[in-house]
Amino acid sequence: MSQKDRTERLLNLLFALMASVRPVPKHVLREAIDAYRESPSEEAFERMFERDKDELRSMGVPVETVEGADGVGGIEGYRVAAADYALPAVDFTADELAVLGLAARVWEQASLGPAAQRAVQKLEALGGGAVVDGPVGIETRIATAEPSFPVLLEALRTRRAVRFHYRKPGEEAPAAREVQPWGVASRRGHWYLVGHDVERGAARVFRLSRVVGTASTHGQAGSYQVPVGVDVPAMIAASTPRPGASTARVRVAAGRANGLRRRATTSTPDGDDDILLVPYSDDEALAADIVGLGTAAVVLEPESLRAAVVRRLLVAAGAP
Amino acid sequence: MSAATRTPDSAATRLSRLLALVPWLTAHEGVTIAEAAAHFGVTSEQLQSDLWLLICTGRPGHMHGDLVDIQFWDEDGRITVVDAQTLDRPLRLSPDEAASLLVGLRVLAQVPGPHDRGALAGATSKLEAAAGEALAAADGLSVTVDTTHDPEVSAAVSRALAEGRRLHLTYVGSLDERTERDVDPMRLLGLDGRTYLEAWCRSAEAVRTFRLDRIERAEVLDVAAEVPADAEPVDLGAGALRPEGAPVTLALAPEVAWIAEEHPVDAVADLGEGRLQVVMPVADERWLVRLLLRLGSSVTVMDRPDIVERVRAEARSALAAYGTEA
Repeated sequence: MSQKDRTERLLNLLFALMASVRPVPKHVLREAIDAYRESPSEEAFERMFERDKDELRSMGVPVETVEGADGVGGIEGYRVAAADYALPAVDFTADELAVLGLAARVWEQASLGPAAQRAVQKLEALGGGAVVDGPVGIETRIATAEPSFPVLLEALRTRRAVRFHYRKPGEEAPAAREVQPWGVASRRGHWYLVGHDVERGAARVFRLSRVVGTASTHGQAGSYQVPVGVDVPAMIAASTPRPGASTARVRVAAGRANGLRRRATTSTPDGDDDILLVPYSDDEALAADIVGLGTAAVVLEPESLRAAVVRRLLVAAGAP
Repeated sequence: MSAATRTPDSAATRLSRLLALVPWLTAHEGVTIAEAAAHFGVTSEQLQSDLWLLICTGRPGHMHGDLVDIQFWDEDGRITVVDAQTLDRPLRLSPDEAASLLVGLRVLAQVPGPHDRGALAGATSKLEAAAGEALAAADGLSVTVDTTHDPEVSAAVSRALAEGRRLHLTYVGSLDERTERDVDPMRLLGLDGRTYLEAWCRSAEAVRTFRLDRIERAEVLDVAAEVPADAEPVDLGAGALRPEGAPVTLALAPEVAWIAEEHPVDAVADLGEGRLQVVMPVADERWLVRLLLRLGSSVTVMDRPDIVERVRAEARSALAAYGTEA
């Protein structure tokens, strides 16, 4: 089946479903559309019809399944109501079309890029005007390099569980996970999946770049509900480190360590140097930053931080 | 896997275009084949083949009056829709389509910039009204961008962009050096959660990008910005901002595999047991020395013994301040 034949078949099916106010029974569709009439067997027709119906629905066509009135649960037929098919008439101003263009280009390097382009085509087909590519002084891009991204988004939308292998930092082998997605979110340039980890019986946050291979959907659509009141961005924020309550006293050379100076609450001149007070939460994390500054920064207090810095410097100096 | 989770095949893409094409042509009576092709980003041949396909379809029976009727054989290539059948209106948005635009608008609402906030709010509420149920797909999808920059800095940068004026910046670069310079702003760039100012730097006489959260002070000068006509904007198609410089090969222990996520790398190979080998472009070797000091034995430099020696020498000097010797 060529792409042209398939496009033509889908289009004729759409016309047939929109042509009648009454639901159209399956056998009528089989007679009405050439490609269905010519299919070699009932099974082949059924498969083709199911696939076409799914395809139209995934594009946003509201294909309605109408139950029979006989009360035995049979299907009377299918239809697409013209009122449900059409995009409501919306009158966007030129400035609004310009920001919609910016919004669509956010996904230019992402798996949602083609969807955003189709959306723009539809809005422009309303006839109000064109989404222009003109300079507005800002361009934003969100990449979705992770191969699992479209799978997770679809699973989230249809409420299906996903299975994948996940490698936690510091662990050698990836472990199998099954998760009911509650949200897919980007925070500061990284994509996360938040959901219910089925085996652990608790909510978990996963970083998509640590998913090994590609996730796959599992089980029926609509197999779970997202708990009311779940705040996905807040859960991700809570899972990443935050500034803490300890304070370090650090001597820095004049004009150097400007990144550390910006984190400091106070800076007091001391000879040629400055003494900074830097709030922090984790000895090892701040020690790594200070070791990176080499001779430009020396920890005075606390002792635990000094020890962490010295330990790291000994390793970096190649000490046995 | 359901049909919808597959990459849409070309039949779906083409059908989607056909369904947008008919109402667009109806609203733009008398456009030429070339104009329509340009609008939909296809060749004139492809557009004509789309039109041929359309006029062969219609309501069951395919009798006169059941078929789509579009005329496009004028010598000047003009297209007239005579009978669109039931396709005179665009198809409503699919969940992915609605979510992409709506989340895109939400991202724009978070980032600083000269874009029209009123238009943003207007577009968002109209889109919500138009998308209807499809909007539910945007519920679980969210993007939070870094907003740790100084609001006074972002306000000054936005104003300079909107008014086309020069800026004086105090900037702390990736090596912690503080510099002062005049720049002529070009664009704000939101890339993977961070915001950058792209500008013509009058000191470097070149296009430079400045991370907004590293700008300590930005003063709008009473001078019009003068960006040279041949200033090349950053190519956003290349993805994240990529440093220019000789690549270095590093072996990463599992606990520092994040380096391959945080920095642009040219190649990644799996060394087994969670270890990775990466080839990473390095713009400034001093930056690499800092990174290696930070990460200690978790990183091994594979191809630059001179860098290894510089790291050791710097660490030995720093140890002296603690009264310790290696």
